[in-house]
Amino acid sequence: MADSEAVKALSGLLNGIAQSVYYGNSEITEELLKDELYPGVSPEEFHTLYDKMRGLLKSVAMADMDQAQLEAFLTAQTRKQGGGGTTSEQAAALARFWKGHRSRVRESLLAQSRWEPALRGLSWRVDLQTANSRGQTSNSPVALVELELGRNGQASEFVCLEFDELKINQVLKKMAEIQENIDSIVHHN
Amino acid sequence: MMTDHNVRFWGERIPREIVNMAKHLKDLDKQVFRQVLKVVVNCLEGKECSVSVADLQNTSLSEEQIIDIISGMNEVLREAVRVSPSSVKIKSFEDDLRELRRPTLKSSLTKHDPRLAKLEQFRWRVDVAVSTSSLSRALQPTILMQFTLSDGNRHQCEVSLSKFQELRYNIALILKETNDLEKRSVLKIQDHSS
Repeated sequence: MADSEAVKALSGLLNGIAQSVYYGNSEITEELLKDELYPGVSPEEFHTLYDKMRGLLKSVAMADMDQAQLEAFLTAQTRKQGGGGTTSEQAAALARFWKGHRSRVRESLLAQSRWEPALRGLSWRVDLQTANSRGQTSNSPVALVELELGRNGQASEFVCLEFDELKINQVLKKMAEIQENIDSIVHHN
Repeated sequence: MMTDHNVRFWGERIPREIVNMAKHLKDLDKQVFRQVLKVVVNCLEGKECSVSVADLQNTSLSEEQIIDIISGMNEVLREAVRVSPSSVKIKSFEDDLRELRRPTLKSSLTKHDPRLAKLEQFRWRVDVAVSTSSLSRALQPTILMQFTLSDGNRHQCEVSLSKFQELRYNIALILKETNDLEKRSVLKIQDHSS
C-alpha cells in the first residue's frame, strides 16, 4: 500500500471509529470500515488494527489530552516493542485526528454522562390580559414561557408556564444566586 | 366610609350601583353592614348565599335597600380585586378587605379564567462532574433545576452553562419587557383617574 493511501485509510478509520463510538452513528460498523478502507486485509488483521486504534483513541479521549500529553503518550506508544507497538504513521494520524476532534469528542463524552433531560430551548412572549369571559377588564402583563426539555436521543417535552412580574423577578434573583455559585467554583479553578 | 374612596377608584364617573348604595350607607348600622359584606363576599367566592340573603331580611333594612347595598358592594369588591395592587392607593379600603381575606377572594375570582400553570417552586443545585465513566477528569459544572408547577406537575432538567446563560438573559429580557409594558400609556389611563 502506498504511503499516502495508508495515511488516508488510517485517517478514515479514526473518523469511522469516532463516528460509531463518540458521535452515535450506528451505521458505521467494523465490517463497513474494513470493506471500504482495507479491502485487501484479512478480517483478523483488520480486527487487530481496529481494536488498537480504538483503544488508543479511547485513552486519549478519556484523559482529554492536550498537545503535550498526547505527544508524550504517542512517544511512549511507538517505543513499545513487539506487535502491540504503534507505528509512527499511526501516531501521526492520531495526532492529526485529535487536533481536529478534541473539543467535539469531549462534548460528546460529557453528554454521555448526563441522564436527566436537558434544557434544549426556551421561547417566551409577554401578553397583556385585557378582558375575560366575565366581562371584566384587566391590564396585567403576563409572561408566557415555554421550556423545551429532552433526554439524549429522545423527543422533546414542552413545559408551558405563566409568570407575573413578581414571579419573574423572583426567578431572576435565583438565577443571580446560581451565577454567583458557579463563579465561585470557576474562579477557584 | 367607603364612599370617600370611590372617587379615587373610578375617577369622575361613579357606577350607578355604587351611587345607589351610598345613599343607604349613611345611617347603616355597622353590624348590619358587616353582615351584608359577608354575604357579598360569599357570593363572589361562589358559595351558596341565598340563605344568608334571606337572613338579611330580618334586619332593619327594606328589600330595596338590601338590593341596592348588595349590588353596590358587589361592584366595589369586584373592582377592588381587579385593580392591580400597585396602582391602588386606598390603604384604608384595603384594610377593610384584608379582614375579609382579600387574597382568597381574588384567587376565587380569577381561578375561572383559562390560564397556564404557574411556577410554584423553583429549586436548583450546581454540580461539578469530576470523573465519569467516559471522561477521567470532566470538571464541568452543570445546573440541575427542578420546577414544581401549580398544576402539581414537577419537571427536572440539567442545564449546561451556555444554556443557563441563555435562560438568565431571556428571563431578564422578559422582566424588562413586562416593565416596559406597564409603563406604556395605554396602562396609564386608569392611573390618571386616581
